[in-house]
Amino acid sequence: MSISRRSASKFLAGFAAISLTPIRSAFAAGETYSIGITLPLTGADAEAARLILNGATLAISEANDSGELKGITLKPMILNNASATAGQYDPAQAATNARKLVADGKVLANVGPEMSGSGKAMAPILSMGNLATITPSSTAPVITDPSAAGEFDPGGKPIYFRTVTTDAYQGPNMANFYAETLKVPSVYLLDDSGAYGVGLADAFGKQAAIKGIKVIGRDRLDPKAADYSATLTKIASTGAASLYYGGTMQAGVKLVKQAYQIIPKLIKGGGDGILSPEMVTAAGFPAAEGWYCTNASPHVIDDPKLAEWVALYTKTYGVQPDDYAVTAYDAALVAIAGIKAVQKTGKKLTAANVRDAIQTVKIIGLQGPISFDSHGDLSSRIVSVFQFHEDKSAPTDFLKQYRYIGVAPQT
Amino acid sequence: MITPIELFAQQAVNGLSLGAMYALLALGFTLVYGILELINFAHFNVFMIGSFVGLIVLQALGIAGQSVVLHGAPLIFALLLALIVTMLVCGILGVLIERFTLRPMRGVRGPMAMITTIGVSYILYNVVLLATNAQALNFPDPLATQDFDIHHVVIRAKQILIWIISLILMVGLDQFVRRSRLGKAMRATAQDAEAARMMGVDVDRVVSTAFFAGSALAGAAGLIFGLYYNFTQYSIGYSAGLRAFTAAVLGGIGNVPGAMLGGILIGLIETMSSQYIATKWADVIIFSILILVLVFKPAGLLGALAPNRS
Repeated sequence: MSISRRSASKFLAGFAAISLTPIRSAFAAGETYSIGITLPLTGADAEAARLILNGATLAISEANDSGELKGITLKPMILNNASATAGQYDPAQAATNARKLVADGKVLANVGPEMSGSGKAMAPILSMGNLATITPSSTAPVITDPSAAGEFDPGGKPIYFRTVTTDAYQGPNMANFYAETLKVPSVYLLDDSGAYGVGLADAFGKQAAIKGIKVIGRDRLDPKAADYSATLTKIASTGAASLYYGGTMQAGVKLVKQAYQIIPKLIKGGGDGILSPEMVTAAGFPAAEGWYCTNASPHVIDDPKLAEWVALYTKTYGVQPDDYAVTAYDAALVAIAGIKAVQKTGKKLTAANVRDAIQTVKIIGLQGPISFDSHGDLSSRIVSVFQFHEDKSAPTDFLKQYRYIGVAPQT
Repeated sequence: MITPIELFAQQAVNGLSLGAMYALLALGFTLVYGILELINFAHFNVFMIGSFVGLIVLQALGIAGQSVVLHGAPLIFALLLALIVTMLVCGILGVLIERFTLRPMRGVRGPMAMITTIGVSYILYNVVLLATNAQALNFPDPLATQDFDIHHVVIRAKQILIWIISLILMVGLDQFVRRSRLGKAMRATAQDAEAARMMGVDVDRVVSTAFFAGSALAGAAGLIFGLYYNFTQYSIGYSAGLRAFTAAVLGGIGNVPGAMLGGILIGLIETMSSQYIATKWADVIIFSILILVLVFKPAGLLGALAPNRS
């Protein structure tokens, strides 16, 4: 629907440009700026990316319709961060997209990326271009770590803002949950070789050791390989009581299926990378049953206060939102708040000015109060824990196939 | 607690199953290479298409997800039907690929034909990528879970099934090439296509047959892959195909028993390096062994260097 409306307006604009040129200049206030949206819209991450895209575009179209933007129009500039060769998110493609955003003078801010691997590639380019990006889901701590600023923030000013907390909390808080709630004596760590997965498993392992969980071993899966039986047989032979997997669904689908056969009795968990519809559609029950996972945001989607928003989202896009659709909506709200703040001061609308404004933004988003620390990280540090559990009454409704366990204990 | 010897045996079982899969795929490579001296990269993705054809047939029979388990005659009927349809579709796909993209280039020297197969491979890959939106799909699992536990070494019924099917197809192919008239024509064409043509061998037909047989085997491997791992995705041809190709080279490309040996060796090396070193080093170890073998025995373990055809 939105596409047809957009193309209709494009057509009208073109029509006006040809025949009514003098009149069009009278509407100069209706200038159009862009907010970039960079997500892996094809490949293994597409399904989750789609939910994020919807959240961000919903916020932008609401802002346009409300008239709060004082005459300017914001247009989403949607760029695909995935490539066919990678089959999932592709950092090289993300870097190309970042250059495209920086080169375009009309882009005021960006929403994305979904994956930290892409974020690492984009951050230095955005930093040199002084263009802020607000990620709704990328959680690798290193990107905003001041000690890595030389690599990811050569421009000096923070440009990587997040409406989720980081794996510096997602991994360790889950380790606290393993230790305090599940009371597991030992754990085996796996990751999927990606920046996100390695960092998450590292952070989990460090805190697990502090909490007295014995880390029995650590190995790395090739996400393109099909057979993990050797790795899982090895894990079974170590007698580990639990497994923690840092990674996304490309390796996750096969891991979950084969773990069900080879290590059925172990407690198994992962991060937000496995809180994905593919857990149900591809890995499937009974294999997915019992897996724990986390989200680096508060779980608000079932909050009655959000019911109206959830209904609107579902009606507009024909799918149910997830928590990262909420944080994506919030990310776009942050960008819009930054733009409005610049408008208020009367300064020129440039990416650099919008970045400065975002740094001090304080808004109430769907998830609650949003503000950033001096590095761009979200001030709130809530990690939610979920567990997959089959609901046979609604097998096609992904959101019913896992249940909210609670907020993971914070360190 | 499992003892070190039992653990080794368990990993050997894992490796044999993985190796059987590689061997099945390696056969098709070796068959086409043996006749045309052409590395057919489209083979990877014919295998991938095979798994999707199998998926569609099984779903059309009403078998979806993990909920439908069949026994006895219906199971055999469903599996046979899926196997036959998959092998036919993939075989025909292989023939079409040869007829329309490779035959016009026959006789052209250099790597053009090989590059063409890479192109075809990418087309198949991207078509499925777009058609499935790159999602991994849950593959039907009509086989009842049946484990045999021998001294803590678990052998699954599915593993025995894949060994048997692989063995039948491999021995069948070997016998076909050795004993049948068409097999003889294939070997004659492999040795010297020009001379074979002069002796009245219909070279086009031989090449078509080789592509049909190789691609049908890839299709069978795709179906078995789906049944065994219970998932399929547009990308499965990539890593399995590369390993299978390595297996064919290790065993001696162009040599049918060599492909079997190479596949099983690669499977075993992969699982043993996961167990005793680390999974992340498995690829390094596989390809280092490949290079070592090729340095000391350039034709591969069972291969003989092709005669000079200048």
